[in-house]
Amino acid sequence: MKFYLLFTLFIAGAAQAAESGTTVKTDSVRSAPFSDAKIITTLPAATRVEILKKDGGWYQIKSPQGSGWIRMLSLRRGDVKAATGPISGLASLASGRAGTGKIVATTGIRGLNEEELKAAHYDEKQIALLESSTSSRVEAQKYAAKARLKARQIDYLAEPGASK
Amino acid sequence: MNKLTAKIFVIAALALLLQTAQAFDFGQELRNAARELQKPGGSANLGGYSEEEEVAIGRQIAGNLLGAAPLVQDKKLQKYVNNVGRWVAIQSERPDLVWHFGVIDSSDINAFAAPGGYIFVTRGLYKLLNDEAELAGVLAHEIGHVISKHHLKILQQGKMLDLGSKLLGKQVGDDKIGRLIGSGAEIVSRSLDKGAEFEADRIGVVLAARAGYDAYGLPGVLQEIGHTAADDSSVALLFKTHPHPDDRLAKLGEAMDSRFDGLNGQTAAKRLYKIK
Ligand SMILES: [Zn+2]
Repeated sequence: MKFYLLFTLFIAGAAQAAESGTTVKTDSVRSAPFSDAKIITTLPAATRVEILKKDGGWYQIKSPQGSGWIRMLSLRRGDVKAATGPISGLASLASGRAGTGKIVATTGIRGLNEEELKAAHYDEKQIALLESSTSSRVEAQKYAAKARLKARQIDYLAEPGASK
Repeated sequence: MNKLTAKIFVIAALALLLQTAQAFDFGQELRNAARELQKPGGSANLGGYSEEEEVAIGRQIAGNLLGAAPLVQDKKLQKYVNNVGRWVAIQSERPDLVWHFGVIDSSDINAFAAPGGYIFVTRGLYKLLNDEAELAGVLAHEIGHVISKHHLKILQQGKMLDLGSKLLGKQVGDDKIGRLIGSGAEIVSRSLDKGAEFEADRIGVVLAARAGYDAYGLPGVLQEIGHTAADDSSVALLFKTHPHPDDRLAKLGEAMDSRFDGLNGQTAAKRLYKIK
Protein backbone atom coordinates (compact mmCIF):
# COMPACT_ATOMS: atom_id res chain seq x y z
CA MET A 1 0.00 0.00 0.00
CA LYS A 2 2.75 2.38 0.96
CA PHE A 3 4.60 1.39 -2.16
CA TYR A 4 1.52 2.05 -4.19
CA LEU A 5 1.12 5.53 -2.77
CA LEU A 6 4.69 6.49 -3.48
CA PHE A 7 4.32 5.08 -6.92
CA THR A 8 1.27 7.25 -7.63
CA LEU A 9 2.95 10.38 -6.35
CA PHE A 10 5.93 9.73 -8.56
CA ILE A 11 3.76 9.32 -11.64
CA ALA A 12 1.71 12.40 -10.88
CA GLY A 13 4.91 14.41 -10.68
CA ALA A 14 6.20 13.00 -13.93
CA ALA A 15 2.98 13.72 -15.76
CA GLN A 16 2.90 17.30 -14.48
CA ALA A 17 6.36 18.07 -15.79
CA ALA A 18 5.41 16.87 -19.25
CA GLU A 19 2.30 19.05 -19.54
CA SER A 20 2.12 20.90 -22.79
CA GLY A 21 -0.43 23.04 -24.50
CA THR A 22 -1.26 24.67 -27.80
CA THR A 23 -2.54 28.18 -28.40
CA VAL A 24 -5.94 28.30 -30.12
CA LYS A 25 -5.74 31.99 -30.95
CA THR A 26 -3.24 34.81 -31.12
CA ASP A 27 -2.68 36.24 -27.68
CA SER A 28 -0.15 38.10 -25.59
CA VAL A 29 2.16 36.54 -23.06
CA ARG A 30 2.39 38.81 -20.02
CA SER A 31 4.77 39.23 -17.12
CA ALA A 32 2.05 38.49 -14.55
CA PRO A 33 -1.44 36.93 -14.52
CA PHE A 34 -3.22 40.25 -15.05
CA SER A 35 -4.66 41.82 -18.18
CA ASP A 36 -2.69 45.02 -17.64
CA ALA A 37 0.67 43.37 -16.94
CA LYS A 38 3.56 44.06 -19.29
CA ILE A 39 3.45 42.20 -22.61
CA ILE A 40 6.49 39.98 -23.12
CA THR A 41 5.62 38.54 -26.48
CA THR A 42 2.66 37.65 -28.65
CA LEU A 43 2.11 34.08 -29.75
CA PRO A 44 0.21 33.17 -32.92
CA ALA A 45 -2.40 30.41 -32.88
CA ALA A 46 -1.16 26.82 -32.92
CA THR A 47 2.03 27.56 -30.97
CA ARG A 48 3.18 24.70 -28.77
CA VAL A 49 4.07 25.76 -25.26
CA GLU A 50 4.95 24.16 -21.96
CA ILE A 51 2.49 24.78 -19.13
CA LEU A 52 4.10 25.42 -15.76
CA LYS A 53 1.14 26.33 -13.59
CA LYS A 54 -2.33 27.77 -13.38
CA ASP A 55 -3.52 30.88 -11.58
CA GLY A 56 -7.18 31.70 -11.97
CA GLY A 57 -7.85 32.32 -15.64
CA TRP A 58 -4.17 32.24 -16.54
CA TYR A 59 -1.52 29.66 -17.36
CA GLN A 60 2.15 30.31 -16.75
CA ILE A 61 3.90 29.04 -19.85
CA LYS A 62 7.34 28.56 -21.35
CA SER A 63 7.96 28.93 -25.07
CA PRO A 64 10.98 29.60 -27.25
CA GLN A 65 9.48 33.03 -28.06
CA GLY A 66 9.22 33.99 -24.43
CA SER A 67 7.82 32.91 -21.09
CA GLY A 68 5.12 34.39 -18.90
CA TRP A 69 1.36 34.28 -18.43
CA ILE A 70 -1.31 33.71 -21.05
CA ARG A 71 -5.11 33.57 -20.76
CA MET A 72 -6.33 30.07 -20.00
CA LEU A 73 -8.94 30.17 -22.73
CA SER A 74 -6.38 31.10 -25.40
CA LEU A 75 -4.77 27.74 -24.78
CA ARG A 76 -5.76 24.10 -24.88
CA ARG A 77 -3.98 21.63 -22.76
CA GLY A 78 -2.98 18.75 -24.86
CA ASP A 79 -0.43 17.00 -26.95
CA VAL A 80 0.76 15.66 -23.66
CA LYS A 81 4.11 14.12 -24.31
CA ALA A 82 4.03 10.58 -23.08
CA ALA A 83 5.98 10.81 -19.88
CA THR A 84 9.23 9.02 -20.53
CA GLY A 85 10.75 6.18 -18.59
CA PRO A 86 9.70 2.66 -17.78
CA ILE A 87 7.68 3.58 -14.71
CA SER A 88 5.09 5.64 -16.53
CA GLY A 89 4.73 2.92 -19.14
CA LEU A 90 4.04 0.46 -16.41
CA ALA A 91 1.52 2.75 -14.78
CA SER A 92 -0.35 3.23 -18.02
CA LEU A 93 -0.52 -0.49 -18.47
CA ALA A 94 -1.59 -1.08 -14.92
CA SER A 95 -4.38 1.47 -15.07
CA GLY A 96 -5.40 0.52 -18.55
CA ARG A 97 -5.30 4.13 -19.55
CA ALA A 98 -2.33 4.40 -21.84
CA GLY A 99 -2.04 7.64 -23.73
CA THR A 100 -3.84 10.09 -21.49
CA GLY A 101 -0.89 11.03 -19.32
CA LYS A 102 -3.08 10.97 -16.26
CA ILE A 103 -4.20 8.21 -14.01
CA VAL A 104 -7.81 8.64 -13.12
CA ALA A 105 -9.16 5.45 -11.72
CA THR A 106 -6.94 2.82 -10.28
CA THR A 107 -9.40 0.80 -8.27
CA GLY A 108 -12.67 -0.93 -9.00
CA ILE A 109 -13.13 0.01 -12.63
CA ARG A 110 -16.82 0.58 -12.75
CA GLY A 111 -18.32 2.58 -15.53
CA LEU A 112 -21.77 3.90 -16.19
CA ASN A 113 -23.25 3.37 -19.59
CA GLU A 114 -26.66 3.99 -21.05
CA GLU A 115 -27.75 0.38 -20.68
CA GLU A 116 -26.91 0.37 -16.99
CA LEU A 117 -28.74 3.62 -16.46
CA LYS A 118 -31.76 2.34 -18.31
CA ALA A 119 -31.85 -0.88 -16.31
CA ALA A 120 -31.34 0.84 -12.95
CA HIS A 121 -33.85 0.28 -10.17
CA TYR A 122 -34.96 2.80 -7.62
CA ASP A 123 -33.03 2.59 -4.36
CA GLU A 124 -34.90 4.15 -1.44
CA LYS A 125 -32.09 3.49 1.05
CA GLN A 126 -29.66 5.43 -1.10
CA ILE A 127 -32.11 8.30 -1.43
CA ALA A 128 -32.43 8.40 2.35
CA LEU A 129 -28.65 8.43 2.62
CA LEU A 130 -28.45 11.23 0.08
CA GLU A 131 -31.01 13.29 1.96
CA SER A 132 -29.22 12.75 5.26
CA SER A 133 -26.29 14.82 3.96
CA THR A 134 -28.34 17.71 2.65
CA SER A 135 -27.16 21.14 3.80
CA SER A 136 -29.54 23.91 4.75
CA ARG A 137 -29.10 27.40 3.46
CA VAL A 138 -27.70 28.57 6.78
CA GLU A 139 -25.31 25.64 7.05
CA ALA A 140 -23.95 26.35 3.59
CA GLN A 141 -23.54 30.04 4.36
CA LYS A 142 -21.59 29.24 7.50
CA TYR A 143 -19.36 26.83 5.65
CA ALA A 144 -18.68 29.42 2.95
CA ALA A 145 -17.81 32.03 5.56
CA LYS A 146 -15.16 29.72 6.99
CA ALA A 147 -13.25 30.03 3.73
CA ARG A 148 -14.03 33.76 3.57
CA LEU A 149 -16.15 33.25 0.48
CA LYS A 150 -18.29 36.31 -0.09
CA ALA A 151 -21.29 36.45 -2.39
CA ARG A 152 -21.16 39.13 -5.05
CA GLN A 153 -23.42 40.40 -7.77
CA ILE A 154 -22.49 39.35 -11.30
CA ASP A 155 -24.79 39.39 -14.33
CA TYR A 156 -25.35 36.28 -16.38
CA LEU A 157 -23.33 36.06 -19.58
CA ALA A 158 -25.01 36.69 -22.90
CA GLU A 159 -24.90 33.99 -25.53
CA PRO A 160 -21.98 34.80 -27.85
CA GLY A 161 -23.19 36.25 -31.13
CA ALA A 162 -26.70 36.83 -29.81
CA SER A 163 -28.07 40.29 -30.52
CA LYS A 164 -27.85 42.57 -27.53
CA MET B 1 -38.52 19.28 -38.56
CA ASN B 2 -37.24 22.70 -37.64
CA LYS B 3 -38.16 24.37 -34.37
CA LEU B 4 -40.91 26.56 -35.79
CA THR B 5 -42.59 23.79 -37.72
CA ALA B 6 -42.37 21.65 -34.62
CA LYS B 7 -43.97 24.36 -32.54
CA ILE B 8 -46.78 24.93 -35.02
CA PHE B 9 -47.33 21.21 -35.22
CA VAL B 10 -47.56 20.86 -31.47
CA ILE B 11 -49.93 23.82 -31.15
CA ALA B 12 -52.14 22.44 -33.89
CA ALA B 13 -52.15 19.01 -32.33
CA LEU B 14 -52.97 20.49 -28.96
CA ALA B 15 -55.80 22.57 -30.33
CA LEU B 16 -57.27 19.46 -31.83
CA LEU B 17 -56.84 17.55 -28.62
CA LEU B 18 -58.27 20.27 -26.45
CA GLN B 19 -61.81 19.65 -27.57
CA THR B 20 -61.47 16.06 -26.53
CA ALA B 21 -59.51 16.97 -23.45
CA GLN B 22 -62.37 18.81 -21.80
CA ALA B 23 -63.98 15.51 -20.99
CA PHE B 24 -61.05 14.30 -18.95
CA ASP B 25 -59.84 15.50 -15.60
CA PHE B 26 -56.41 16.38 -16.92
CA GLY B 27 -57.86 18.62 -19.57
CA GLN B 28 -56.87 21.60 -17.47
CA GLU B 29 -53.26 20.50 -17.44
CA LEU B 30 -53.23 20.20 -21.18
CA ARG B 31 -54.92 23.57 -21.58
CA ASN B 32 -52.30 25.15 -19.35
CA ALA B 33 -49.58 23.63 -21.46
CA ALA B 34 -51.23 24.88 -24.62
CA ARG B 35 -51.57 28.38 -23.19
CA GLU B 36 -47.93 28.27 -22.18
CA LEU B 37 -46.96 27.27 -25.69
CA GLN B 38 -48.80 30.15 -27.30
CA LYS B 39 -47.04 32.77 -25.24
CA PRO B 40 -44.06 34.44 -26.95
CA GLY B 41 -41.13 32.08 -26.51
CA GLY B 42 -43.55 29.63 -24.99
CA SER B 43 -42.10 26.49 -26.44
CA ALA B 44 -38.91 27.22 -24.51
CA ASN B 45 -40.93 27.81 -21.40
CA LEU B 46 -42.48 24.46 -20.89
CA GLY B 47 -41.71 23.85 -17.26
CA GLY B 48 -45.39 23.47 -16.49
CA TYR B 49 -44.96 21.44 -13.31
CA SER B 50 -45.44 22.60 -9.77
CA GLU B 51 -42.30 22.55 -7.66
CA GLU B 52 -43.73 19.62 -5.75
CA GLU B 53 -44.19 17.61 -8.93
CA GLU B 54 -40.75 18.59 -10.16
CA VAL B 55 -39.13 17.37 -6.94
CA ALA B 56 -41.11 14.13 -7.04
CA ILE B 57 -39.92 13.51 -10.58
CA GLY B 58 -36.31 14.36 -9.69
CA ARG B 59 -36.36 12.19 -6.60
CA GLN B 60 -37.50 9.20 -8.62
CA ILE B 61 -34.78 9.76 -11.23
CA ALA B 62 -32.15 10.27 -8.53
CA GLY B 63 -33.21 7.06 -6.79
CA ASN B 64 -32.95 5.18 -10.06
CA LEU B 65 -29.51 6.64 -10.77
CA LEU B 66 -28.36 5.65 -7.30
CA GLY B 67 -29.59 2.17 -8.09
CA ALA B 68 -27.00 2.05 -10.87
CA ALA B 69 -24.21 3.76 -8.94
CA PRO B 70 -24.55 4.20 -5.16
CA LEU B 71 -23.08 7.03 -3.15
CA VAL B 72 -19.41 6.77 -2.26
CA GLN B 73 -19.38 5.58 1.35
CA ASP B 74 -17.79 8.62 2.91
CA LYS B 75 -20.10 10.79 4.98
CA LYS B 76 -17.61 13.66 5.22
CA LEU B 77 -17.22 13.76 1.47
CA GLN B 78 -20.98 13.82 0.92
CA LYS B 79 -21.47 16.56 3.49
CA TYR B 80 -18.65 18.56 1.93
CA VAL B 81 -20.17 18.55 -1.58
CA ASN B 82 -23.55 19.50 -0.10
CA ASN B 83 -22.03 22.48 1.70
CA VAL B 84 -20.24 23.67 -1.42
CA GLY B 85 -23.12 22.88 -3.77
CA ARG B 86 -25.79 24.54 -1.69
CA TRP B 87 -23.68 27.67 -1.32
CA VAL B 88 -23.40 27.90 -5.09
CA ALA B 89 -27.11 27.15 -5.56
CA ILE B 90 -27.99 29.99 -3.18
CA GLN B 91 -26.56 32.34 -5.81
CA SER B 92 -29.17 31.16 -8.33
CA GLU B 93 -32.84 32.05 -8.84
CA ARG B 94 -33.82 29.07 -6.70
CA PRO B 95 -31.94 29.55 -3.43
CA ASP B 96 -34.67 27.94 -1.35
CA LEU B 97 -35.13 24.76 -3.30
CA VAL B 98 -33.92 21.87 -1.15
CA TRP B 99 -30.81 20.97 -3.15
CA HIS B 100 -29.16 17.57 -2.85
CA PHE B 101 -25.63 16.76 -3.97
CA GLY B 102 -23.82 13.45 -4.05
CA VAL B 103 -20.64 11.77 -5.22
CA ILE B 104 -21.50 8.44 -6.82
CA ASP B 105 -19.28 5.42 -7.02
CA SER B 106 -18.30 5.22 -10.65
CA SER B 107 -14.91 5.47 -12.30
CA ASP B 108 -16.57 7.26 -15.22
CA ILE B 109 -15.91 10.96 -15.58
CA ASN B 110 -19.32 12.56 -15.51
CA ALA B 111 -21.87 14.64 -13.63
CA PHE B 112 -25.65 14.48 -13.67
CA ALA B 113 -28.60 16.68 -12.85
CA ALA B 114 -32.19 15.68 -12.28
CA PRO B 115 -35.13 18.10 -11.91
CA GLY B 116 -35.89 19.49 -8.50
CA GLY B 117 -32.27 19.99 -7.44
CA TYR B 118 -30.70 16.50 -7.45
CA ILE B 119 -27.08 16.69 -8.56
CA PHE B 120 -24.37 14.04 -8.80
CA VAL B 121 -20.68 13.93 -9.60
CA THR B 122 -18.88 10.65 -10.23
CA ARG B 123 -15.88 9.61 -8.18
CA GLY B 124 -13.91 9.61 -11.48
CA LEU B 125 -14.66 13.28 -12.08
CA TYR B 126 -14.16 14.24 -8.44
CA LYS B 127 -10.66 12.76 -8.54
CA LEU B 128 -9.71 15.09 -11.40
CA LEU B 129 -10.44 18.19 -9.34
CA ASN B 130 -7.59 20.39 -8.15
CA ASP B 131 -9.46 22.79 -5.91
CA GLU B 132 -12.86 23.73 -4.49
CA ALA B 133 -13.45 26.32 -7.22
CA GLU B 134 -13.36 23.51 -9.78
CA LEU B 135 -15.89 21.51 -7.77
CA ALA B 136 -18.06 24.62 -7.52
CA GLY B 137 -17.82 25.11 -11.28
CA VAL B 138 -18.87 21.54 -12.07
CA LEU B 139 -21.80 21.66 -9.64
CA ALA B 140 -22.77 25.09 -10.98
CA HIS B 141 -23.04 23.72 -14.53
CA GLU B 142 -25.48 21.10 -13.23
CA ILE B 143 -27.35 23.71 -11.18
CA GLY B 144 -27.66 25.59 -14.47
CA HIS B 145 -29.49 22.62 -16.00
CA VAL B 146 -31.89 22.50 -13.06
CA ILE B 147 -32.75 26.21 -12.97
CA SER B 148 -33.14 26.26 -16.77
CA LYS B 149 -35.30 23.13 -16.46
CA HIS B 150 -33.50 21.52 -19.37
CA HIS B 151 -34.39 17.93 -18.50
CA LEU B 152 -37.85 18.84 -17.29
CA LYS B 153 -38.61 20.32 -20.69
CA ILE B 154 -37.69 17.05 -22.37
CA LEU B 155 -40.01 15.22 -19.99
CA GLN B 156 -42.73 17.76 -20.55
CA GLN B 157 -42.56 17.30 -24.30
CA GLY B 158 -42.67 13.56 -23.81
CA LYS B 159 -45.63 13.89 -21.50
CA MET B 160 -47.60 15.93 -23.98
CA LEU B 161 -47.07 13.39 -26.70
CA ASP B 162 -47.94 10.68 -24.24
CA LEU B 163 -51.08 12.47 -23.08
CA GLY B 164 -52.02 12.97 -26.69
CA SER B 165 -51.72 9.32 -27.58
CA LYS B 166 -53.56 8.28 -24.44
CA LEU B 167 -56.37 10.65 -25.27
CA LEU B 168 -56.71 9.39 -28.76
CA GLY B 169 -56.65 5.83 -27.59
CA LYS B 170 -59.01 6.77 -24.74
CA GLN B 171 -56.92 4.85 -22.28
CA VAL B 172 -56.15 7.08 -19.38
CA GLY B 173 -53.71 5.77 -16.83
CA ASP B 174 -52.60 7.06 -13.50
CA ASP B 175 -49.04 5.77 -13.19
CA LYS B 176 -47.80 9.29 -13.65
CA ILE B 177 -44.13 9.55 -12.87
CA GLY B 178 -43.08 6.09 -13.89
CA ARG B 179 -44.46 6.47 -17.37
CA LEU B 180 -43.16 9.98 -17.58
CA ILE B 181 -39.50 9.36 -16.91
CA GLY B 182 -39.22 6.14 -18.84
CA SER B 183 -37.07 3.35 -17.55
CA GLY B 184 -34.39 3.73 -14.91
CA ALA B 185 -32.32 6.87 -15.06
CA GLU B 186 -32.21 6.98 -18.83
CA ILE B 187 -33.18 10.63 -18.83
CA VAL B 188 -29.84 11.71 -17.33
CA SER B 189 -28.03 10.07 -20.24
CA ARG B 190 -30.23 11.79 -22.79
CA SER B 191 -28.39 14.40 -24.85
CA LEU B 192 -29.66 17.92 -24.48
CA ASP B 193 -29.18 20.22 -27.43
CA LYS B 194 -25.77 21.85 -27.62
CA GLY B 195 -27.25 25.24 -26.86
CA ALA B 196 -28.49 23.98 -23.50
CA GLU B 197 -25.01 22.75 -22.60
CA PHE B 198 -23.34 26.02 -23.57
CA GLU B 199 -26.01 27.84 -21.57
CA ALA B 200 -25.33 25.67 -18.51
CA ASP B 201 -21.61 26.45 -18.89
CA ARG B 202 -22.26 30.20 -18.96
CA ILE B 203 -24.54 29.93 -15.93
CA GLY B 204 -21.94 27.74 -14.23
CA VAL B 205 -19.06 30.21 -14.38
CA VAL B 206 -21.30 33.05 -13.20
CA LEU B 207 -22.80 31.16 -10.25
CA ALA B 208 -19.35 30.02 -9.09
CA ALA B 209 -18.02 33.56 -9.39
CA ARG B 210 -21.05 34.94 -7.54
CA ALA B 211 -20.25 32.49 -4.75
CA GLY B 212 -16.82 34.10 -4.43
CA TYR B 213 -14.87 31.45 -6.29
CA ASP B 214 -12.42 31.86 -9.10
CA ALA B 215 -14.59 31.92 -12.23
CA TYR B 216 -12.19 29.66 -14.08
CA GLY B 217 -12.89 26.50 -12.09
CA LEU B 218 -15.25 25.01 -14.68
CA PRO B 219 -12.99 25.93 -17.65
CA GLY B 220 -10.09 24.38 -15.73
CA VAL B 221 -11.94 21.08 -15.42
CA LEU B 222 -12.90 21.21 -19.10
CA GLN B 223 -9.22 21.67 -19.96
CA GLU B 224 -8.43 18.62 -17.89
CA ILE B 225 -11.14 16.48 -19.47
CA GLY B 226 -10.37 17.84 -22.94
CA HIS B 227 -7.00 16.22 -23.12
CA THR B 228 -8.33 12.84 -22.00
CA ALA B 229 -8.18 10.56 -25.00
CA ALA B 230 -11.52 10.50 -26.77
CA ASP B 231 -11.40 6.70 -26.99
CA ASP B 232 -11.07 6.43 -23.23
CA SER B 233 -14.16 4.59 -22.01
CA SER B 234 -14.38 6.70 -18.84
CA VAL B 235 -15.49 9.69 -20.90
CA ALA B 236 -17.60 7.81 -23.45
CA LEU B 237 -20.98 8.82 -22.04
CA LEU B 238 -19.89 12.39 -21.25
CA PHE B 239 -18.54 12.92 -24.76
CA LYS B 240 -21.68 11.42 -26.23
CA THR B 241 -24.05 13.68 -24.31
CA HIS B 242 -22.04 16.90 -24.31
CA PRO B 243 -20.21 18.91 -26.95
CA HIS B 244 -16.45 18.29 -26.87
CA PRO B 245 -14.71 20.19 -24.06
CA ASP B 246 -12.67 22.10 -26.64
CA ASP B 247 -15.88 23.44 -28.21
CA ARG B 248 -17.26 24.30 -24.78
CA LEU B 249 -14.03 26.13 -23.94
CA ALA B 250 -14.18 28.03 -27.22
CA LYS B 251 -17.76 29.16 -26.48
CA LEU B 252 -16.87 30.07 -22.92
CA GLY B 253 -13.87 32.02 -24.22
CA GLU B 254 -16.16 34.12 -26.40
CA ALA B 255 -18.73 34.63 -23.67
CA MET B 256 -16.29 35.35 -20.84
CA ASP B 257 -13.77 37.31 -22.88
CA SER B 258 -12.26 39.80 -20.43
CA ARG B 259 -15.38 40.12 -18.29
CA PHE B 260 -13.82 38.45 -15.28
CA ASP B 261 -10.59 40.42 -15.41
CA GLY B 262 -9.71 41.86 -12.05
CA LEU B 263 -12.49 39.91 -10.38
CA ASN B 264 -10.41 37.80 -8.11
CA GLY B 265 -11.98 34.73 -6.69
CA GLN B 266 -10.84 32.03 -4.37
CA THR B 267 -9.76 28.58 -5.43
CA ALA B 268 -10.06 27.31 -1.82
CA ALA B 269 -7.57 24.66 -2.87
CA LYS B 270 -6.60 23.73 0.66
CA ARG B 271 -10.17 22.92 1.56
CA LEU B 272 -10.84 20.47 -1.27
CA TYR B 273 -11.79 17.23 0.46
CA LYS B 274 -9.40 14.47 -0.50
CA ILE B 275 -11.26 11.42 -1.65
CA LYS B 276 -9.96 8.07 -0.46
ZN1 LIG C 1 -24.46 19.39 -19.02
